[in-house]
Amino acid sequence: MSTFKTFIAGIPSIIACSMLLSLTAFAQEKPKLSDPEVASVAVVANQIDIAYAEIAKEKAKDKNVLHFAETMSNDHKAIIAQAAALAKKLGVTPKDNAVSQQLLSNAEKTKTALRSKSGKAFDKAYIDNEVAYHKAVIAAVETLLIPETENAELKQLLQNVVPALKAHLAHAEMVQKEFK
Amino acid sequence: MVLRSCICLFCSILVLTSCSSSPEKAKVEKAKAEEITFASNLDTVVIAQMQFQPALLTVHKGDTVVFVNKGIVNHDVTERVNKAWTSGELPVGTSWKFVPAKSSDYFCSIHVVMKGKIIVE
Repeated sequence: MSTFKTFIAGIPSIIACSMLLSLTAFAQEKPKLSDPEVASVAVVANQIDIAYAEIAKEKAKDKNVLHFAETMSNDHKAIIAQAAALAKKLGVTPKDNAVSQQLLSNAEKTKTALRSKSGKAFDKAYIDNEVAYHKAVIAAVETLLIPETENAELKQLLQNVVPALKAHLAHAEMVQKEFK
Repeated sequence: MVLRSCICLFCSILVLTSCSSSPEKAKVEKAKAEEITFASNLDTVVIAQMQFQPALLTVHKGDTVVFVNKGIVNHDVTERVNKAWTSGELPVGTSWKFVPAKSSDYFCSIHVVMKGKIIVE
């Protein structure tokens, strides 16, 4: 029974690791992406973190976790708005692709795992996942999306997003220390 | 009468000449402009790349500090120890001015890892 409990408790970490591994794998394999596909991956990656934040806003108890979730929701919405405005200006329609699909598929598993938790266990699982997710996304943006992007304005937007992602990671790691 | 007219004419010429080209007058005007600039000294902190730039700012007492949000998300500027002062939320592209009364550590209360310091001399 205790082995089962340990296994269940470890599920978010396993999923976070699989997310990290799949994004890292994409970053290493460097699949060829067109600018509309890069735009799709960027929008999907932001949407996923907003979805995690919405779950946290419903379930989190810790005030610092709630504050972090609120910030993630607002910041990633602002980034999507800028990406949408740029896509409109450039006449680019985000195009679905294997990377976007893999991100969404992994996110569904993570959301299910998060929803199965409550109380302090949820707070810990959410913030652990945010640390892993931001590490994976930073690696993917720096080593896959930015190098793959041809349009200078889209590349600049992605470069501008990296410091925000790194600040989110530092913030998440700070909150994570409360749960160790 | 003729003498009075001559004196008036001389004075008018003197005034006109001094108004148009006196270097001393120019010096006075420049000094006044510098004095005005000094009296309303403005120091700028740019918020960009998730940082306060510069993170450490030294100002004179009475100086105005303006924070300009050139980032991609909203921020704020809040005194760190007991939130003695705050800008409130600064949307992208907006700015906020204040005159710091004393030295303070501050941060962005939205992104708590962003920190800065103002030293008032």
